[in-house]
Amino acid sequence: MRNKAFRLGCDIGGTFTDFVLVNDETGAFSIYKCLTTPSDPSDAVEIGMKALEKQVPEFVPELAEIIHGTTLVINAIIERKGARTGLITTKGFRDVLELGREIRYDAYDIFSEYPKALVPRSLRTEVDERITSDGRVLRPLKHDEVKDVTRALLDAGIESIAICLINSYENPEHEARVKKLVEELAPDLSVSASYEVLPQIREYERTSTTVTNAYVKPITVKYLHKLSTRLQSLGFNGKLFIMLSSGGITTASTAGEFPVRIIESGPTAAVIASQHYGRMFGIKDIFCFDMGGTTAKSCLIQKGEAGLVSTFEVGRVQRFKKGSGLPIQVPVVDLMEIGAGGGSIARINKMGLLQVGPDSAGADPGPVCYGLGGENPTVTDADLTLGYLDPNYFLGGAMLLDLDAAHRAIDEKIAKSLNATLIEAAFGIHDLINETMAAAAKTHIAEKGGNPNSVTLTAFGGAGPVHAYGLARKIGAPRIIVPPLAGVGSALGFFTAPVAFDLIRSHRVGLDEADFNTIERLFKDLEKESSAILKQSGEVDGIMFARSIDMRFVGQGAETNLPVANKAFNEWERYEIRSLFDQAYKRLYGRTYPDTRVELISFRVRASLPQPPFQIPRLVSSGGSLQNCIKGKREAFSLIHRKFIPFTVVDRLKLFPGATINGPAIIEERESTIVVGEDANAKIDECGFVWITFSRSADI
Amino acid sequence: MTQKFDPITLEIFWRRLISIVDEADASVARTAFSSLLRDAHDYTCMFTDSQGRELVQGTLCTPGMAGAMALGVKRIIHSFPYNEYKPGDVIIVNDPWLLAGHLNDVCVMSPVFYKERIVAFTSCVFHHSDIGGRVASDNREVYEEGLFIPPLKLYEAGALNEAVLNLIRWNVRTPDQVIGDIRSQVASNHVCAEKVVEMLTDEGLDDLDDLAEEIICRTETSMRMAIEKIPNGHYCYQGLIEGAGKREDIKINLTVKVKDTDIVVDFDGTSPQVNWGVNVVYDFTYAYVFMALKSAFDPDIPINEGATRPIQMVAPDGCVVNCSFPAAVAARMQVGHFMTEMVFRALAPAVPDRIIAGCGGTPAQTNIFYGRDRDGNPWHTMIIRGGGMGAGSSMDGHHCAIFPANGANTPVEILESDTPLIVFERSLLPDSGGPGKKRGGLGRKMVIYVPDDKLAPLYPVTIAVQAGRFRYPPEGLFEGGYGSKAIFLKNGEPADSSGLTFAEPGDSVEFHSAGGGGYGSPFERDPEEVVQDVRNGYVSIEKAYEDYGVIMMPNSLEVNEAATTAYREQRRS
Repeated sequence: MRNKAFRLGCDIGGTFTDFVLVNDETGAFSIYKCLTTPSDPSDAVEIGMKALEKQVPEFVPELAEIIHGTTLVINAIIERKGARTGLITTKGFRDVLELGREIRYDAYDIFSEYPKALVPRSLRTEVDERITSDGRVLRPLKHDEVKDVTRALLDAGIESIAICLINSYENPEHEARVKKLVEELAPDLSVSASYEVLPQIREYERTSTTVTNAYVKPITVKYLHKLSTRLQSLGFNGKLFIMLSSGGITTASTAGEFPVRIIESGPTAAVIASQHYGRMFGIKDIFCFDMGGTTAKSCLIQKGEAGLVSTFEVGRVQRFKKGSGLPIQVPVVDLMEIGAGGGSIARINKMGLLQVGPDSAGADPGPVCYGLGGENPTVTDADLTLGYLDPNYFLGGAMLLDLDAAHRAIDEKIAKSLNATLIEAAFGIHDLINETMAAAAKTHIAEKGGNPNSVTLTAFGGAGPVHAYGLARKIGAPRIIVPPLAGVGSALGFFTAPVAFDLIRSHRVGLDEADFNTIERLFKDLEKESSAILKQSGEVDGIMFARSIDMRFVGQGAETNLPVANKAFNEWERYEIRSLFDQAYKRLYGRTYPDTRVELISFRVRASLPQPPFQIPRLVSSGGSLQNCIKGKREAFSLIHRKFIPFTVVDRLKLFPGATINGPAIIEERESTIVVGEDANAKIDECGFVWITFSRSADI
Repeated sequence: MTQKFDPITLEIFWRRLISIVDEADASVARTAFSSLLRDAHDYTCMFTDSQGRELVQGTLCTPGMAGAMALGVKRIIHSFPYNEYKPGDVIIVNDPWLLAGHLNDVCVMSPVFYKERIVAFTSCVFHHSDIGGRVASDNREVYEEGLFIPPLKLYEAGALNEAVLNLIRWNVRTPDQVIGDIRSQVASNHVCAEKVVEMLTDEGLDDLDDLAEEIICRTETSMRMAIEKIPNGHYCYQGLIEGAGKREDIKINLTVKVKDTDIVVDFDGTSPQVNWGVNVVYDFTYAYVFMALKSAFDPDIPINEGATRPIQMVAPDGCVVNCSFPAAVAARMQVGHFMTEMVFRALAPAVPDRIIAGCGGTPAQTNIFYGRDRDGNPWHTMIIRGGGMGAGSSMDGHHCAIFPANGANTPVEILESDTPLIVFERSLLPDSGGPGKKRGGLGRKMVIYVPDDKLAPLYPVTIAVQAGRFRYPPEGLFEGGYGSKAIFLKNGEPADSSGLTFAEPGDSVEFHSAGGGGYGSPFERDPEEVVQDVRNGYVSIEKAYEDYGVIMMPNSLEVNEAATTAYREQRRS
């Protein structure tokens, strides 16, 4: 039973740290946003909690849980700031990581670049052991050799170690022993063994995932430990959960063991929130658009469900090209990076063309206008110059923006080289980033079988609501929703995420030969194991299990996943399982072959706790007049007329249900700014969502 | 009336077409049986408009299959009366002269109907790991190379033609795998057709023809604009391709004639077809000539019929790159893959920054292994090995890629779970990359062992090699050095690289694929880059001295700059 009133969502992005505090008894929200503190991200958490205490005194001891998302892991990979990592592998295979799968991801590009391995060749060592594909020991493991190579790696200064031996997915005995020996030699060293991180066939993908886990494990563990200690010292005695890339949440200790599962922790929250809104409003296709300081991410949510994929890539060398990144095989929401963020730096490249990103000024030094020492103009500097942001009302006025400095930087570094005016240059930056995002967004939507002309865009992140209007125009989306608290809105998603964990076990057996009692035991084991993980969160009432099996025709190399109802497996008839498979196969591929034998390959369980109830509070219907909401007029740049025109400036906090604002308008709130062009209007609904529709499509 | 598309709509539709074919492509990994398809990705999916004009091809295609299939499908659709096609028809064909040049490449094709009219043909070519016959590159005629399937209906209006399937079943070594893979082809076409119809429905289009016209014209224009930037002239190259064993070398004589926005590639003077399996059909040669021109001039625009329109090819009938029936063609990549490199060589003086040096993955290094396990059950597998990519003016060659074809390696764990074989090593070969200002990529070594314990297979394990670069290593460009040669050893001794090799339990075979050629003089390579290569074990400290003229301290691996400069001066003069 929940007996404490409060829950806190906290999302650390590359530039800002966002907080949403909800009182589950009253439904009241409090929010806060501050700059991320890269040298120690828990600084910002403390700053935020103290700031919130001013709004809601004494809430900390009353906190039932903190749900946390962080870009720490992904940034460490992209910026190559993870631990110095060593790899122990089977003799003959130190180059698995570098050879990869050898496929050229762009068949006609002879100059394709490929990602650099996270472990350099000199730190990849071999041991002379061998397990066969059926799990027999062909060459026994020599303990002395393991100790020798471990010592050599320690001498080389490694901070973390990955162990990935050939065929360990079939028999993990050698890996487990290597792990034990390493732990004996270096008890404090961070260790990741592939049989625990990803016990699946295919050595490159398994090694890549394990090495990535090892690479980010020390900083994740250190950070989470520090964060917990710090929270305790602030008086927090509730539970700390971390957002998983799969959309569930888990305990800090599990996250520290498998940081590779929290890579997309932050952006996933916005997707989970959008999913919730999609169901709430019954919208068929939602295009979730989350633009923070460093990156813009998107996800297409169809019929209230975001896709979940079992493999993704990080650190793509060619941003939008599949195959140009490091493969990671863990469950993840089907997110796509579509562009840079507000802090992304604009510059003139070697060809004399304007370029925005991919590098970001982040929080430190940040955009020029922050006045924290940034010298390179960013998207935010351009947005400020174009009048979309109010220099005196950024973060509600908590941070004064230096307009002149932004002008100077854009003028000197961009406008002069392009022989353009300041405004032309600023518009160029704003438009280029929208164009880049639009191209990627269209691909992403089309790839999922959607149509950009019929999606509803949901805008999140500090820069999301500023750019949503321009992006929607470019992709032809007829409607934008800006949820309440959009600037910190992705943190709202934390409250709608279930405590959940997925486990998979391989056990290959023909359907005709399978012993259903054994399978039932296997499922029971998985359920036990996953409940144990959930129990770390303390609450064990009402754990739900979802079972599925992966099946294929004998001889195939990949499986079709079949959800199976939760009755004891030995109560199924063989023909029932067979017909489940045939139905699914026929639906996917048009025909099935009932005479061809099938086999069971792996068994999956998702354990989850019931989703906590979550209600967006209704706006108080003040019956106010629009006039009260209007702050005044401000000159801002029209994307249609390509010149400055007066925009109505509206205070979002004063808006009331049913209020309609015709563009051109700028709706300001503390954490973000919504731009509405002259061909659009905005309506406020009962819960404070801003619905922007283009007048050309007002009927949708 | 022809429908016009505004640029934004056009872009959205075009991307959707690409995603449709890529989705069909991705379904193969989930449905295919042989690891050559599901893991090594040796297949290509595409679809055409109602007239058979290629509209889009899979992003992860192999250019040879894609280019040849595009030409082939246009003819194959007329193997049957056009207006007698019915929904549910499925055609199967592997005629090398209609398709990708050897019997293993089987095409499955279907008309796509919408509102009772044909709107598209969806087709895919899979490289089947077995098609019967004698699996080697030293056959004399195509009759020896396996089952020849003329265009036949595998399904007629949705009803399976059992006889066709039965005929195939009794002519191949691993029928379950081959039949399973044919079904995967049917499935992939189904996915493609379903998505095409979905798109037409969503977008309110009646067919794809107007869209095709617009896309094809724009692509053609883009290619022509790119060609226009190349100075008019005749760019010639004469090259030799090694004959396997003691066979005569093959002479390739090519001229790239650039005139305004058109290119004609002429093979006049090239060797006649030969009495072993490396003859190339016209379409396959064209595919790799096109690959070279497309990748050098206009790599970014997605491919369709428009990209090929400005490029013509002339080759004498009966020459090795335009062979006549019944030439043996099974190992056609051993000549065909060289076309890309040779066009690059011809163009090197004109576009030195748009081409790369010779590649160790030219030709793709393929091996077939088959036999029976201890219980007498047949097993069979085929793998493709990459080699070092050649360097370019601004970048080192990538280690190990299959170029100009494309495909992936088969994971060792997959290979071992599908066969009784054990892989003892798969690693980069130090010092195999051609030295240069930019270094060629490294080749790789693979050691495969036939176990002799209780799981030993029966004798013999048959090994066929279709590869090259055993005698002539990949060449460098502009003073760049050679990559290393390829090697094939059985129990440490050189073995036959064109016929069949038989192994017994306890034997091991070793393959080295070649390294890529270097680009520019190695004495101009930044000594720091050489040091990095030494640290990574790509280049030995000895070769750093011999090939690059870099002198470094053996312990600290720091460059002795003065000594290096002096030594490089001395070597240059």
